Amino acid sequence: MMKLLSSVQKELTLLRRDFGGLLILFLMPVVLVVVVTLVQENVLKSMGETKTEILFINNDGKDVGALIEKSLQKSGVATIVTEVEGKRIDIDIAKKAVAKGDFQLAIVVPRGLTESFRKKAKQQVKDSLIVGNVKGSTSAKAQHEVPELLVYFDPALRETFRVGVMSSMEKVILGIETEEKIKALSELLPEKMEGATRKAMGPMWSEEFKKSMPSFRFDWDNNPIIIVGERVASQVIAAKTPNTVQQNVPAWTLFGMFFIVAPLGASLIRERQDGMLARLLTMPVSYLTIISGKIAAYVVICMIQFVLIMVVGKVVLPLLGTPVLDLGTSPAALVLIALSAALAASGYGILLGTIARTHEQVSAFGAVSVVIAAALGGIMVPAYVMPKVMQAIGAFSPLGWGLNAFLNIFVRGGGVGSILPEVALMLLFFVSTTLLAWFFMFQRGRIRIH
Amino acid sequence: MEGETSRENILVARDLSKVYRGATRPALNGFSVSIREGSVFGLLGPNGAGKTTATSIMNTLLKPTSGNVSVCGIDAARYPGQVRALIGCVPQEIALYLNLTGRENLLFFGSLYGLRGKRLETRVSDAIELVGLEESADQRVFTYSGGMKRRANLAAGILHNPKVLFLDEPTVGIDPQSRNMILEKLAALKDKITMVYTTHYMEEAEMLCSYVAIMDGGQIITEGPPEALIHQRPGCANLEELFISLTGKQLRD
Repeated sequence: MMKLLSSVQKELTLLRRDFGGLLILFLMPVVLVVVVTLVQENVLKSMGETKTEILFINNDGKDVGALIEKSLQKSGVATIVTEVEGKRIDIDIAKKAVAKGDFQLAIVVPRGLTESFRKKAKQQVKDSLIVGNVKGSTSAKAQHEVPELLVYFDPALRETFRVGVMSSMEKVILGIETEEKIKALSELLPEKMEGATRKAMGPMWSEEFKKSMPSFRFDWDNNPIIIVGERVASQVIAAKTPNTVQQNVPAWTLFGMFFIVAPLGASLIRERQDGMLARLLTMPVSYLTIISGKIAAYVVICMIQFVLIMVVGKVVLPLLGTPVLDLGTSPAALVLIALSAALAASGYGILLGTIARTHEQVSAFGAVSVVIAAALGGIMVPAYVMPKVMQAIGAFSPLGWGLNAFLNIFVRGGGVGSILPEVALMLLFFVSTTLLAWFFMFQRGRIRIH
Repeated sequence: MEGETSRENILVARDLSKVYRGATRPALNGFSVSIREGSVFGLLGPNGAGKTTATSIMNTLLKPTSGNVSVCGIDAARYPGQVRALIGCVPQEIALYLNLTGRENLLFFGSLYGLRGKRLETRVSDAIELVGLEESADQRVFTYSGGMKRRANLAAGILHNPKVLFLDEPTVGIDPQSRNMILEKLAALKDKITMVYTTHYMEEAEMLCSYVAIMDGGQIITEGPPEALIHQRPGCANLEELFISLTGKQLRD
């Protein structure tokens, strides 16, 4: 046990003094998490897959403008921003901000919209009321210009999202318009009816009769008459998809963990080339102890990486405007995934360091193979957007197993039970790679096994 | 076999042979030696003669195709762990962690020999003193000169007071002062530690070794005390001339 502890301590001291190696092991995954998450967050915003911020300039300042703002907020299509850096925005500022890509769109409510809107609604109702053969006056039609509510778009905004926003806007306007017209109707209709009835009844008209006339009640039930229901056509319930933080934090944590294969493999090559392994193997210590010391030290490094990147997801990324990483409800499951992934990465590093003959081989092959396994495992692009064939190949990636296990906790609300298959696969990978490394070592006669 | 002395044989190798996978001829063939306690056994030979293979089998690093080795009467094939506790190795390479200090390296290797606490610290300090690295023991090894690295390499091999020390060209590529110091230290140690010394420097072997075996083609072609071997070969004034006359002038790569 003391020999193992000495071995672990030696490895950790060597790693601590390798500044370049520390940069690769700790800084690289942190930078990748931050950069990729922010980039993807922006892309998803332009695709409308995350909540967008809309600049809202209300030049009307009265009921209709306020109602549009309230309705948009209520619709949940976007967050309404009326001030930037504590200052109210005007059209020029809004256009510049949208053109720069700081906001995806800006809505400008024109001055005098409320008056114009109400007049227009009243006029339309008036024009549509026919008493006998006399149609309402149409002379006013030309007198009220249609007010234009302007929407400025970021040119990079996806067409589907633009259409979606416009559709939401039109729905909001239609609702307000309907309300205004009904209001106008509720005022005009009783007036017209009374006039027509009074004229028809002549002297028989009395105030008592007026009281018995039906009046128009505007505060009707707001419950929808028809509900549009959504159903999934297939029997399979669509999988819940992660947000950028839930996807990228575990993804790049695993990538960083698996990047230990380069320094771990290189340390084995160096020991072999420098005669260190020969010296160690002539000492009263087993090869298993030497390798276990290395594995234990690199598992410690992986666990530090894991904690560090989780802190980035929980604290740093939200400061940069992303959602906060929700760690789920099972810390034990998270530790289990991280430990299994660290062991899988260490086993792979040991295998590479045993098979490779030079430092260059282990660095190049280690890095490239991890990048390929990462791509296939859905680290760079979420697996659910990959073609079916690639998803099938990706099912063999240890990084994919790790990511799926993390997503079970972060997104699907799973516990320890939900991650056991992935954990078992990663542990199997660790055992297989370590045994293979042992086999190659023995095959080449590099160690004596009794 | 080594000269007639009253001391016991501390290392005995019997009829060792080694055929590497894929090789057409054996790297070692019928290699047998008996090394007396307290002697310095020089293993000499041109490149490819089988010295490294013989040493690697004797220090338990390699498994022989046939034959056996015993150290202090312990069978190396059956009890390699016990044999390893009795031997020390000074490889030709600087087998030290360059990013650790000299002291940290020795503390690590000492712990692998089972040394602990005060005993470990004392042994490390003694080894550092022996090789004259007191002032630089707490510097990282990559800052050492070639000679200092060689001395630290030697310290790592003798740290645990081994019964048998295998030295593979311990003075290669260093300045005369460091070389002289290492040879002096080894000469001082030879009463306490039996040494198996592999070198291409014939004058070193002549000066240090009490017994030499010259190898070629995987076999010992002659063996005995250096003076006796030189006298036996007419026209040879020293070990180098004897070596050339036995192994030829043809280059070996």
